[in-house]
Amino acid sequence: MTAGPRPTVPSPRRWRPSFQLIQAGTVLALLLVLCAVSAVQTKTFLTWQNLVYNLLTNAAYVGIIACGMTFVMVAGGFDLSVGSTTTVCSVVAVLALQALTGQPVWVAIAVAVLVTGAAGTLLGAFNGACVSYVGVNPFVTTLSTMLVFRGIALIMTHGGQTESVPLALKNTFSQLYWGKVPLLGSEAYQITVPILVFVGVFAVSLYVLRLTRFGHYVYAVGGNENAAWLAGVNTSLVKAATYAICGLTCAVAAAIYTGMSNTAQAASYYGLELVVIASVIVGGTPLGGGSGGLLFTLVGLLLLSVIENLLPQFGVQEEYRNIVRGLIILVVVAVDVLARGARTRARRT
Amino acid sequence: MTGAETQPGDAILRMEAIVKAFQSVRALDRVDFDLRAGEIHALVGENGAGKSTLMNVLAGRFADYGGRIALFGREVRLTNPRQALALGIGVIYQELSVLGNLTVAENLLLGHEPAGRLPGTLDRRALAARAKAILDELEFDLPLETKVASLSHARQCLVEIAHAIRKDVRLLVFDEPTASLGGDDVGRLFEVIRRLKARGIGIVYISHRLAELPLIADRVTVLRDGRVVGTRGIADCKVSALSHMMLGRELTEMFPPKRNTPGEVILKVRGLTRPGVFRDVSFDLREGEILGIAGLVGSGRTEIARAVFGADRAAGRCECLGRPMRRRSPGRCMARGIGMIQENRKRDGNITDSSVALNVGISVLDRLSNAAGFLGPARLRQSAARMIDRMDIRPRDPARLIQTLSGGNQQKAILGRWLCRDPKVLILDEPTQGIDIGTKAQIYRLVMDLAAAGKGIILISSELFEIANLADRILVVREGRIVREMPGPGTDVDALFTACIGGGNG
Repeated sequence: MTAGPRPTVPSPRRWRPSFQLIQAGTVLALLLVLCAVSAVQTKTFLTWQNLVYNLLTNAAYVGIIACGMTFVMVAGGFDLSVGSTTTVCSVVAVLALQALTGQPVWVAIAVAVLVTGAAGTLLGAFNGACVSYVGVNPFVTTLSTMLVFRGIALIMTHGGQTESVPLALKNTFSQLYWGKVPLLGSEAYQITVPILVFVGVFAVSLYVLRLTRFGHYVYAVGGNENAAWLAGVNTSLVKAATYAICGLTCAVAAAIYTGMSNTAQAASYYGLELVVIASVIVGGTPLGGGSGGLLFTLVGLLLLSVIENLLPQFGVQEEYRNIVRGLIILVVVAVDVLARGARTRARRT
Repeated sequence: MTGAETQPGDAILRMEAIVKAFQSVRALDRVDFDLRAGEIHALVGENGAGKSTLMNVLAGRFADYGGRIALFGREVRLTNPRQALALGIGVIYQELSVLGNLTVAENLLLGHEPAGRLPGTLDRRALAARAKAILDELEFDLPLETKVASLSHARQCLVEIAHAIRKDVRLLVFDEPTASLGGDDVGRLFEVIRRLKARGIGIVYISHRLAELPLIADRVTVLRDGRVVGTRGIADCKVSALSHMMLGRELTEMFPPKRNTPGEVILKVRGLTRPGVFRDVSFDLREGEILGIAGLVGSGRTEIARAVFGADRAAGRCECLGRPMRRRSPGRCMARGIGMIQENRKRDGNITDSSVALNVGISVLDRLSNAAGFLGPARLRQSAARMIDRMDIRPRDPARLIQTLSGGNQQKAILGRWLCRDPKVLILDEPTQGIDIGTKAQIYRLVMDLAAAGKGIILISSELFEIANLADRILVVREGRIVREMPGPGTDVDALFTACIGGGNG
């Protein structure tokens, strides 16, 4: 690596994995061990029914939003309002479908989805504007909008729940959640629509974050916002855009999961923000941003989802489950912190 | 305050064959240093020569040094700061450690507050009395009940000094105390230091302002690359000889001869003002010209440059290539062909946790990506690799994280960032701070080459010999105003220094 025409400065460089890789590796190892143990211990874990219809389909909506959250967090931000944003979006989706009754089915659904997407982007952009143009701390901004958006959902539903999606649209619309696509033409192995949508969102996000100018700016802003600004980057716009993207992913998740019940409730998606943020953090994207990324988030998401899936299978009582969830997050991050500390100490001496 | 058993002239400190390595780099290589009671011994050298490392050994900050230290005739092994403090060693660091939100009295007795009658309370009256006693003893004139943040920088230094001088202090280290002081304050500080010397306290005085040494020091030790080049009595050496010892080669070797003649005006600054920081700053910059801005730290030189670059707001007009620039921001200035290397590399330069490739390419991503914003990793890597070759950045690996490079290589990467952009005006704020001498010479050559290629360069530096040897024209800034314009190159460094501190007719 250091080969040059002249002898270079002494560079005792062995390959050393980055901190994120250490953490993601830990998580991945934990994930594999868990899967292996469960595959042996339970008969139910390693079935297509459980893994695809249950585990991955449930993970998909968290995963879709985690993609957006990864943008925000790599840029050094934070978004607590995703649960409320998703709720507002699901209400918007149902109301739009009701307003569009009588239109051709696919037109109605397409327009409703677009309107939902616009709503999510708008709410995210509002967060972004507060954070980057007004300069309110991300935690404070999204803590307040978490309440405000929830309130908007309450008002739009007149205090609780929307009417159901009109009958004419219901069957088609619910395919967004219930639809299945046969894999390799086999009826026994089918992929659900939410998983496909997640794969799509993930691929697009990966492309944007890794292979575009904007994506590079996101990392630069997270690495050192001040330096990026002084290097001519429009950091305010970049930061605001990450929140808008996060809002958009909330809308995508909302559109799909509204198809599950065909109604929207103002009291849904409570605590979603915590699961989403946990996935990103457990994967290895640090709170300050600047490194990490979508592949890390994927690993974190899978670990949390597998644990979620295993808790009932191993007979962990409901009242104990939160303790397990919380401890897993703490342990994974603590391992990372300790590994960093060990290396920093090693460097000092 | 003096140690009872030492007489002026007695050796109070003897450091022998001190060795200290950081990973594979030897920061100190068998350094000998000694100090007598009532002596001011100056320690000079370039950035990275090992001055601070040596003093940190003395302050007990490194437990793993090699060599022997004898204090007051007794051999000691310094392993922690508290032990050094207990032995009577006080260090006044360049970075002030006073707490701005506390009063002078509270700062002076920080960690030794007199307890009140109730447990956990503070006896404020005793606090004030003791603080007053300390200041009286030192003959410092400071308000006890004023918050330190509202004092001038010079007076904050005095608080710092008073805090460091405990009753039992017998050896004091001053780490570049004058770096940010103006002329009058330097004089006052020297008086304080002489008074301490008269009490028989041994003083180590770190500086890289050679011109002031004859005023204060008794002996001078020059460090270079972690080794002692020599120790001299101040009476029998000249400033020019010292600078030669410090740099290790003739200045003419480091500064290539000038080749360019300045052309048309490309940057025009008129009446630039930021209340309380600088006012009514006007100057022109020509094509192919190196314009030096000299001044003390805190004189406003950095702030002026930042205002031109749009990093800070300021009133006044700027014109680049004949077109006015309103509502300047770094992004807009970049688009108009102005670049700036910031003084604080860590805070304002490095994009931490990112690759060298991104750090170099960040200002040209718009040129590297296609219309849709697509930017393949190969594109960025190739562009960075070209700049790594041109700037000779080691190691030659675009994927390395920026913070794992040495300071000099980080600086070259950030210079490369702006060279990619090929700006017409390049502002360099302390471009050689904290980097090794070889890299410095490379940067001098680069600056000359850029000027020869018709770029306009604004050069800000604390190292006056850099400005004196590189600049075609020098603006001297003091207290936020341009007080003098001097011709370069080859200006007398001593005269430039005098102008900066406001001595003479400056």
